[in-house]
Amino acid sequence: MNNRFMSKLIKKTLFYILITGISLIIATPIYFLVSLSFLSSREAYQYPLPLTPAFSSEFKIEKGRKGYLLSIYDPRLRGFDTVIDTRHLEKISRYMRTELNVIMSPKEIEKYTKKLETQKEVYFKRPKNIFYNYITFFNVTRDAVPALIRSLEIAGLTILISLSIGGMAGYAFARYMFKGKNFLKVSVLFVRVFPAVAIAMPMVVILARIGFYDKPIGLSLVYSVGSIALTIWITASIFMGISVELEEAAQVFGATKLRTFFNITLPLALPGLAACAMYAFIGAWNETVSALILTQFNPTFSVVVYQSLLGASGQINLTAAGGISMALPMVIFTLFIRKYINQMWGGVKV
Amino acid sequence: MSRINAIKLKKKWAPYLLIAPTIIYYFLFWLSPVLSAIYNSFRDPSGKFTLANYVEVFTHTSFGVAFRNTAFIAGVSVFIEFIVALLLAILINQKFKGSGIFLFLAMIPMALPAVGAAAIWKTGLTTNGWMNSLLYYLGIIGKGTRIHFLGGSVFSIMWLIILVDAWQVIPSMMIILLAGLQNLSKEAQEAGYIFGANRFRTLMDITIPMLKPTIVTAVILRLISAIQIWLIVVLLFGFDRIPLLLERIVYYKEEVSRLKNSYQIASTYSVIVAIIVTVAAVLYLKFSGAFEKYEETGDENE
Amino acid sequence: MNKKFLVGLLLGLFAIFMFSSFTLAFAKETLVFSSRLWSVPTEQEFIIENVIKPFEKEYNCKVNFQILDDKKLLERAEVQQKTNHVTTDIVCAYVSNMPEWIEKGYVEDLTPYIQKWTDRHFTKAFSYGTEYNGKQYFIPVGADVYLLIANKKALKYLPEGADIDNLTWEQFVAWSNATRKGDGVGRTVVTGVPMKSFVYQFGAISLSYGAGFPEMVTPGALKAWELLVKMKDDFIPSVLNVDNCISPMKREEAWLSWMHCARAGAVYSSNETKFVVAPVPKGPAGRGSIAGVSGFAIMKNAPHKDLAIKFLEYITRPDMQVKISKGTGGFIPPVEEAVKYLGDDPEDEVIAKAIEVLKNGKVSGVPGQKFQDWGAVKKVYDDVFVKMVLKGDGKVNMDILNEAKKKLDALRK
Repeated sequence: MNNRFMSKLIKKTLFYILITGISLIIATPIYFLVSLSFLSSREAYQYPLPLTPAFSSEFKIEKGRKGYLLSIYDPRLRGFDTVIDTRHLEKISRYMRTELNVIMSPKEIEKYTKKLETQKEVYFKRPKNIFYNYITFFNVTRDAVPALIRSLEIAGLTILISLSIGGMAGYAFARYMFKGKNFLKVSVLFVRVFPAVAIAMPMVVILARIGFYDKPIGLSLVYSVGSIALTIWITASIFMGISVELEEAAQVFGATKLRTFFNITLPLALPGLAACAMYAFIGAWNETVSALILTQFNPTFSVVVYQSLLGASGQINLTAAGGISMALPMVIFTLFIRKYINQMWGGVKV
Repeated sequence: MSRINAIKLKKKWAPYLLIAPTIIYYFLFWLSPVLSAIYNSFRDPSGKFTLANYVEVFTHTSFGVAFRNTAFIAGVSVFIEFIVALLLAILINQKFKGSGIFLFLAMIPMALPAVGAAAIWKTGLTTNGWMNSLLYYLGIIGKGTRIHFLGGSVFSIMWLIILVDAWQVIPSMMIILLAGLQNLSKEAQEAGYIFGANRFRTLMDITIPMLKPTIVTAVILRLISAIQIWLIVVLLFGFDRIPLLLERIVYYKEEVSRLKNSYQIASTYSVIVAIIVTVAAVLYLKFSGAFEKYEETGDENE
Repeated sequence: MNKKFLVGLLLGLFAIFMFSSFTLAFAKETLVFSSRLWSVPTEQEFIIENVIKPFEKEYNCKVNFQILDDKKLLERAEVQQKTNHVTTDIVCAYVSNMPEWIEKGYVEDLTPYIQKWTDRHFTKAFSYGTEYNGKQYFIPVGADVYLLIANKKALKYLPEGADIDNLTWEQFVAWSNATRKGDGVGRTVVTGVPMKSFVYQFGAISLSYGAGFPEMVTPGALKAWELLVKMKDDFIPSVLNVDNCISPMKREEAWLSWMHCARAGAVYSSNETKFVVAPVPKGPAGRGSIAGVSGFAIMKNAPHKDLAIKFLEYITRPDMQVKISKGTGGFIPPVEEAVKYLGDDPEDEVIAKAIEVLKNGKVSGVPGQKFQDWGAVKKVYDDVFVKMVLKGDGKVNMDILNEAKKKLDALRK
């Protein structure tokens, strides 16, 4: 008895070690991305990189050759590091803002520099604006909000189109036996073999002809090509898993085929459909290359992020903030529909 | 008698009616751009018929290297990702505390946009990046030493790309396989135990064959997208350092788009990539016996 | 619950549609300004906060400022002009593309307006791109040349008797060699990622030895390759992943580089006590450097032409030009009156040194219009760098160079 208990405990411990290990491998890079997005430029270029962002900075100002000498406390040196010598307080203010994410107006700095008349040096500590990178990011991404709305619209339309069209076909593949079924099912998948980038160029002309160029609907039509195929395959396997007997039972009780579908089959398939919706959403939300080609004045959020980060390779903390801002709606969406996906496994069955 | 006929008749056209929207959709929004790309691949810049684009692609545009690199990365990554994901899915296939959080975490890498993923690995793999910092904090390397992750040979870089790709793909693949495992009937597996088979045999003889449809779907989708890998490579190494098939298309379409024949070369590459992916996918489906499998499942439902 | 979810989704979508149509309906008069310049986010932020917002207040309007690369700018202009639906008012394009803009008739002749601005004179050095048949279509802005930047940690390896402000390329190579030997690892950096700025970094050396730009096997170019192969082992281990020399310099992975003055300014002003800047090294033919410039222009049939002219008048005021140049790291203001506003901050020092290179150096523009695709030209040089310099045997390999020359010639129009 005791032995069995012990071996069970060991198994359980090993299992949790495994889970923790995998979680750590997944989470560590994400953690660094998040942490990076809160670092000031000065922190982001240090080695070794700080494990957590600082929340405040300590400064020292003294009289310098040109004007004022600004030094910053550096925990790695355990001392102050002199960074700038200038007579312009705006320059100090700007330096604090861009390099340390500390917001302090020249007037506020003047309060401290006045003290230099009586003392040799003056020390002060200031909190860091932890969201400064995000503020800068949205500042330079001026049409971020309309683009965000547009992207949501595109993702929503893509979900609608691919779930309705793909879901229908998926149902047919799951429930009916017909000539050419395998051929059709496999060939549906093969729309994905033609690179999406290669489809986008000729699409400019096609969409312009039907008046959908540079409109959200145009992009969602393009994105749906890939996600319909995926939806068909996923929904087909889901509908296959829902027992035919249940549907037939309902029909015996006089329900029409349509009502059976909406009242019995659809609710059961909802978790799977949620998963399809998630894939469609991710595909439409993150796509940049086709969106660059197919939009002009109404860019998507991913295009806007791409453009404002075009020259950002020298500012990795801003890039991180941009990447997180883009991933966040996606993660929230995933969180929201997670329980539906969970139902697909674990939630109800185990 | 007539009633039965009516049902049969109904069943005959119903599936086609349900599939019709998909087919119409693909005719409008897939076939026409594809035909246009094929058309362009046989034209010279002035619009005359030519085979020169294909000749140029095969002789002058690093096609061979791109093909080899893509084949290596796609082959190895799909294989490794599948094995690891399957192993993890089998090990994790039970109810446990915190499973909700764990699965949510596993979904995040897939949802990350390319800029985010690039920011992670650019800052991570560079010499003074967070990977070396982390190793230093953990006491694995000294303060003065750094590992030059990105400075290795092409071969080691390819493995690095595979690892980076695996980080993003394995968790989501694991979720798909886990979903498949959860849908399997427990009875069949238990029957295996009763008849004295050990865990490994049950796994190989019962679980995996039953999981096959899910595996085929997961692997085929992954294979198609693995051959089309390019963005993360370009974000880390720039264009044309590690030529890849899809990278070639984007290179000619976006980066050197003003050469006389850029557009034609890009179209030609698209056609070639499509053919290669098709061949790979068909080979895989044939090899895995998927074609027959669909026949069976179809019968079961009927 | 399930129904709620679906209903919620539909309602959400509906709300989005309504909201987006509302935002469109209330859009007021807006000046559209698309620029290739100031693509770095801190530069963008500076321009928006310190240039555009005051203008919006002064003239009670909105300015929609967006960053686009040169190719996209031209593509959009083409679509707008062809469909006769012009929405962009002001563009800021790179000098090598200006002839195309002008020849295709996408931009307005600005000569009559510029003549009225008597308080400013645009540097003549840039008239080769901005003017065409005696008319001025573009107004120069944000000029750049190359500067040397070094981490002070490298100073102890500086060859004896060498003056950092007057370095020759031979001395630079010796310095780079000594730094690597002293520190044990290469500390010099160029952009190794293809199609970034290696071709310009090469150009700086080859121009110093009397070559034109771009050249591959002329004596000056050969001398430049010779110096580069001598630095074979001096480059940082991750040089092939560098797409922008700012990051490795700021991370102190690299200690030595020569780069675009605004980028050098960004490194320098991040910590002026850690770095030194100097004019780019020189050779027998002088101080070679690529000089680039961008230019503002007004689109033909721009919807808000009057406002656009007011904006250009505002943004080219000498004090504004200095403010912009300083705020964006250290571009050279191409307005002659601007120089008197310079002070002694790190950015001023960078600008002053850049002006010195521009005035006394042997500078060349970027002859992009002579080639089918400038990116492809860059690529030819990037390949030689990898094949002959990094992976070569430390000698100039004429086979590689001759083949590269063939490729280069094939790209000429």
